[in-house]
Amino acid sequence: MRKVALVAGGVNKWGKRAATFRQLVAEAGKACIDSIPTVSNKDIEGFILSTAYAERTGIQVHPAPFMAQVLGIRPTKLYQHVENQCGSGTTAMRTAWWAIASGYIDMVMCLGVEKLLIPSHDEIFFNASAACDKEWEACFAMNPPSLFAMAAQAHMRKYGTTEQQLAMVSLKNHTHALKTPYAHHYDRYQKRGKVTLETIMKSRLISYPIKLYDCCTNTDGAAACILASEEKAKELTDKPVYLIGTSQVCAHGSWTLAHRDWSEWPPLKMAAKQAYEMAGIKPEDVDLAEVHDCFTISEIIETEEFGWCKKGEGGKFVEEGLSDYGGKVIVNPRGGLIACGHPFGATGIAQAYEILLQLRGEAGERQVQHAKIALNHNLSGLGEHHIIIYKKGFD
Amino acid sequence: MGDKNYSYTMDIYPQEHTEETRLWPFFENLKQGKLTTTKCNKCGHVFWPPEVVCPECLSDDLEYVDMPKRGKIYAFTVQVAAIPPGFKPPLVHAMIDFENGIRIISPLVDTKPEDVKLGDEVELKVVDIPPDSHGDRVLFFFKKV
Repeated sequence: MRKVALVAGGVNKWGKRAATFRQLVAEAGKACIDSIPTVSNKDIEGFILSTAYAERTGIQVHPAPFMAQVLGIRPTKLYQHVENQCGSGTTAMRTAWWAIASGYIDMVMCLGVEKLLIPSHDEIFFNASAACDKEWEACFAMNPPSLFAMAAQAHMRKYGTTEQQLAMVSLKNHTHALKTPYAHHYDRYQKRGKVTLETIMKSRLISYPIKLYDCCTNTDGAAACILASEEKAKELTDKPVYLIGTSQVCAHGSWTLAHRDWSEWPPLKMAAKQAYEMAGIKPEDVDLAEVHDCFTISEIIETEEFGWCKKGEGGKFVEEGLSDYGGKVIVNPRGGLIACGHPFGATGIAQAYEILLQLRGEAGERQVQHAKIALNHNLSGLGEHHIIIYKKGFD
Repeated sequence: MGDKNYSYTMDIYPQEHTEETRLWPFFENLKQGKLTTTKCNKCGHVFWPPEVVCPECLSDDLEYVDMPKRGKIYAFTVQVAAIPPGFKPPLVHAMIDFENGIRIISPLVDTKPEDVKLGDEVELKVVDIPPDSHGDRVLFFFKKV
């Protein structure tokens, strides 16, 4: 197996965009290719499109060839569409990794995109439900806020986690995004100032204890990354970032088949252990993490299952600032899904791009000092987890 | 069913009719007021959701068996916003545990949100899907005993 590196990345502006699905693709793809002078669109042999709702909001079946064409990319070795809902981006990156590591191909672009903000709210919520078990759960009005609300309640009951601790995850991530110009809420901060704990605590209830500011934001957005073999990467850049560990666990799809106690996420614990072992690192070696804060409770449970604090102490961990700058591990330095928004297919790829910037020391005002190892996590449900660990590949 | 105007891709409800699902007996049972699931006649596994192949041993020799009449609430939440089409807030979602080990997540109806407690016993309440959406169909909700 060959070593594989991340060599370039880019994003477009996220938010309620006056742009179609393929225009979002064009913007992020151009940003990525423009960022690396040694690569032209004609050099890219492989193209993986990551998107969850191509068929619903695209409206495009078999979208990969059309989106490659938008960027003048003519794949000669690999093109495909991957979809694992919220984990689509990480899934694309893993797929590119195997293809390059095997020796089959030298360079692949992963491009993630989602068009979520369509006029009808009914259609937006229909789409959200469609990600749950269509035949046995979605038809009962199940959608992510109510499911994560029940996980939050389980954690609050068992460990005494408070609504204020949930709010502190949101406060941290919104504060981080003050320095992330592409974030969905960035323009709002410029107009109305930073989000306060009071605003979060008083935001309207969605499904107890989940309030509006406990939720990630539906947004339109795209992101792209280019991966290459070690040999190729050395030709293209003097600042490669290597993929050193990964895991993917799918314990179940339907939420009714999840483990019994929702305050614990054993499938994530298993995935974390596998990824750490493959990377040859320990939890305390992680300098920064881009984890899946689809809801505030998710980040709290994730900090526990990744071993950065003791089980049950995720609330205290954020309260004491240990997941913030100056803490033990800087969690979601760009502002996470909560503040940047969550264009499902683009999220994992935007997180990888953030890691590329951070490990290269190019993250500007939000730079994590002396960062060498970074972890990326997405989930697609309580039992579905995708992890990639990255390491700085130069001095 | 044969309705050319039926919008299949915008229908969030299950396909229940004999000409569109092999699990139509489940829905027929439901219309009789009985919540059932599938049991494998080869390995004995009783599982949820109902399927046409046993997910343990892959046998397709299955039969329908009755679910226990009552279940207990393990967790619940009252959703007041971000509600999918066809439903109205407040929506009480409950995780319901049955003594055969099966857990079902479904909304509670005929129950005031403020009256719900963990551990409450609930029973089946068959609810009609609005008749304009593809014929005669039902869903299995629950209500407090």
